[in-house]
Amino acid sequence: MSRNSEEPVFNQIEQIRTAQGLSRQELADLVGVHYQTIGYLERGEYSPSLVLALRISKALNKEVSELFSLTEQKKGKK
Amino acid sequence: MSKKNKIYWSLGVTEKGTRALLTDENSKFKWLRSQRNRRVLVVLNLIGIVLVSLGSYYPVLKTNFNLNTETEILIYSVTAIFVIFLTLGAYSFLRVAVRGIADAPDELLDERQIQVRDSSFRYAYLAMGYIVLGLLLLMFFGPELQMFQPEGNDGSYLAIATMFAFASAPSLILAWRERDI
Repeated sequence: MSRNSEEPVFNQIEQIRTAQGLSRQELADLVGVHYQTIGYLERGEYSPSLVLALRISKALNKEVSELFSLTEQKKGKK
Repeated sequence: MSKKNKIYWSLGVTEKGTRALLTDENSKFKWLRSQRNRRVLVVLNLIGIVLVSLGSYYPVLKTNFNLNTETEILIYSVTAIFVIFLTLGAYSFLRVAVRGIADAPDELLDERQIQVRDSSFRYAYLAMGYIVLGLLLLMFFGPELQMFQPEGNDGSYLAIATMFAFASAPSLILAWRERDI
């Protein structure tokens, strides 16, 4: 469920999370959400609030702009 | 998590109970959470609500099928209570299937869960509007349908069914719409 269905937000969460060896549950615990929410985020079915986006970027040690974008990024680009 | 089990009186839930549902603590109920099984539960709940509401047609049944003996009335009453408890059981399973999200307080949910819960309440509000409209129409046409007679049932099963619908509508919508719970 995107906050704005007309403009989807793409993200690199899954690629970066798996590269760092984190499970969905571990990332969920780090950012304080349910693990299903991480799944929704990774599939692009839910766009996070700014606070959650910042928490995820902090947990994955990446800039928000590296994680989220309005254009689809190529897989593997980190 | 504090050791004290906080009670949310207005929602009718406890902190520990809600947390247990939100996590996979009770893995024996995990099978309930697939979208297919959740949708089966939605259908069962709706059938239960309709069956309970049909209890208010007893005066019609009594007239048309000549149910007069005490045994017949007893069978009717036992069947009605059985259906109510079955519906109550189906509702309990439904709550477990949707992790109790519909009844959970904000502080125990994450932002996506709050969003889907609020969205399901919006649709539930619309659905209840149509149900209330239906009940109002019954108030007008009830006498012609020989319902709400002083002898036998006075429409209380319809009231019970409405309470079931009111309590379960957000969970029914959540269970049907969400891909993963």
